Amino acid sequence: MLQSQSINFSYDGIHQFYFPDIQLSGREELLILGESGVGKTTFIQILAGLLKPSSGLLEFNGVQFHNLPSKELDQFRGKHIGMVFQSPYFLKNISILDNLHLSLYLSKNKEDKKRAIELLEQVGLGDKINSKPNDLSQGEQQRAAIALAVVKNPSVILADEPTSSLDDVNCKRITSLLKEQATSTNAQLIIITHDQRLKSQFDKSITL
Amino acid sequence: MNISRLSWQNLISNPLNTTLSLLLMTFGVGIISLLFLLNNQIEQQLQANLRGVDMVVGSKGSPLQLILSSIYHIDNPTGNIPYSEAVKIDNNSLVDLTVPLSYGDSYNGFRIVGTTHQYPELYEMSLKKGRLWSRSLEVVLGSTVAQTHRLKIGDTFYGTHGLIEGGHVHDEYAYEVVGIFNPSYTILDQLILTNAQSVWQVHNHEVVEQGNEHQECDHEHHDDEHSHEHHNCDHEHHIEESTASGLELNASIPEDAMITSLLVKFKSPIGLIQLPRKINETTNLQAAVPALEISRLTNLLGFGVQTINIIAFIIIIVSGLSIFISLYNSLKKRRYELALMRVHGASKWQLAQLVLQEGVILSVIGTVLGLLISRITLLIITLFAEHKYTINSFQFNLLIEELWLLPIALLIGIAASIIPTILSYNINIPKTLSNE
Repeated sequence: MLQSQSINFSYDGIHQFYFPDIQLSGREELLILGESGVGKTTFIQILAGLLKPSSGLLEFNGVQFHNLPSKELDQFRGKHIGMVFQSPYFLKNISILDNLHLSLYLSKNKEDKKRAIELLEQVGLGDKINSKPNDLSQGEQQRAAIALAVVKNPSVILADEPTSSLDDVNCKRITSLLKEQATSTNAQLIIITHDQRLKSQFDKSITL
Repeated sequence: MNISRLSWQNLISNPLNTTLSLLLMTFGVGIISLLFLLNNQIEQQLQANLRGVDMVVGSKGSPLQLILSSIYHIDNPTGNIPYSEAVKIDNNSLVDLTVPLSYGDSYNGFRIVGTTHQYPELYEMSLKKGRLWSRSLEVVLGSTVAQTHRLKIGDTFYGTHGLIEGGHVHDEYAYEVVGIFNPSYTILDQLILTNAQSVWQVHNHEVVEQGNEHQECDHEHHDDEHSHEHHNCDHEHHIEESTASGLELNASIPEDAMITSLLVKFKSPIGLIQLPRKINETTNLQAAVPALEISRLTNLLGFGVQTINIIAFIIIIVSGLSIFISLYNSLKKRRYELALMRVHGASKWQLAQLVLQEGVILSVIGTVLGLLISRITLLIITLFAEHKYTINSFQFNLLIEELWLLPIALLIGIAASIIPTILSYNINIPKTLSNE
């Protein structure tokens, strides 16, 4: 269960971002819509425990993870949170499959070769598991990024503008893939975007 | 997949930078290691050829030259000394053993040395074939000489005047090979040994030959038949001479006979204190102490070695710089990768470890390669230089001096990685990820 209450944040101490309260329980999906400059990325980084809010309450399963010591916070993030970024990030010197393995290693999950390969097959990259990230097309990279985010079975999947650079067909495909993976790993899904195309695909949405 | 494997993958994905850093480290370490090895070899070789010779007596000149020419046979002799003086030294009660050396001729660059049987004895030479010389113009070959010129027992050759090839050929007297030594890995492998009489005979043939004939036949006139040829007289006489252990003036030796130098071993260290000074002060001869001259020589060499060492250290430091630049550059390019790893749950220390390991792997591999290359180089030098220099015993084990290289290289690898490591430790994840 993830919930936030009256969170605000400021980079310079003058301009404040105020974020809406959210509360997700069970296997819920949430779409957060907002135009550029309203602090979408900031909000998702706060939710991921990468930024510390100036004030407010943020809890996951009763743990106020922002107050954890640095190392425990790293472990918490590694274990519970899977992130998908606007442009897909990988370690470019190792294969897609090794990227998945590394994520498992760093989050202290067992290196499950079968699961990683299955997952890549599910996102349609069964024949590309040994390719280097740069050898994939953009659509393939975005799908691989989703596999990378969910391979460790996170409790929450946070997606930051996952579709903004994609055409309609791919946009739809990525969204349903995210929902599909959230369902199969029993994770909560939060997507932050300015992409109005997604609105129709989600029951629950808020606007920043 | 773990941090170490990732470090390795990062290194091999950047082959140009990695190769440059490795090459520099390998060369730096390799040069220093090679110097250590060569130094070690030279010292060993210098010692091995010394064979407990305490003093060398020759004519006045440079003491180092005297040592180099009469022990290592790599310089020209300083001149000649009268044989009678050598006998006087041999008779001194402090002297244990003397070996007279007469040289000046060569065969295709290999020196012909007139001496006594004590000389090969001193070097613990063993015969591979044949026997030691028993009369004039019989020679025994060092193994390298025999091998290079494919000479065998019974072969004959003419000596050349001077110690380098292309001098005047003494074609009146042919030397005959009567024995070949086993390899000893000392300078004797490269010498042609005969008795002193041969050298005198070849050079002052009138004096020696006529003198010999005259004296010996005179000497044996009393009890021998007239029909005895001087050849036979010679023969019998030389067996007698060569089995005697000390030097003596006898009928076979012309009054004005000269030798080039005399190797001396003392009975006790007292000799070393008294005799060299006495000889240098009271006679026209020069006495040089090999131990002293060798340490002078190694000091001289040491300066050059030091200079090359400094250059090699500079190369190692440059390799450290190259490691730093390549880590720093790739870090800048891969900033977002490190942020991503943090998102995956990596700790700050794991990122630091990743970068530090790359530097350490480079310096360790570079060092190992350097040590390997220095040995391969030494092996090649050994193979090619065998005829001229006796670096024959090849060793592969680590020298004590070389143990320093690994920690030093490691330190430089770590120093080069420190700034990149701190940068990765303190990476600002949100900023890196949102700036793209």
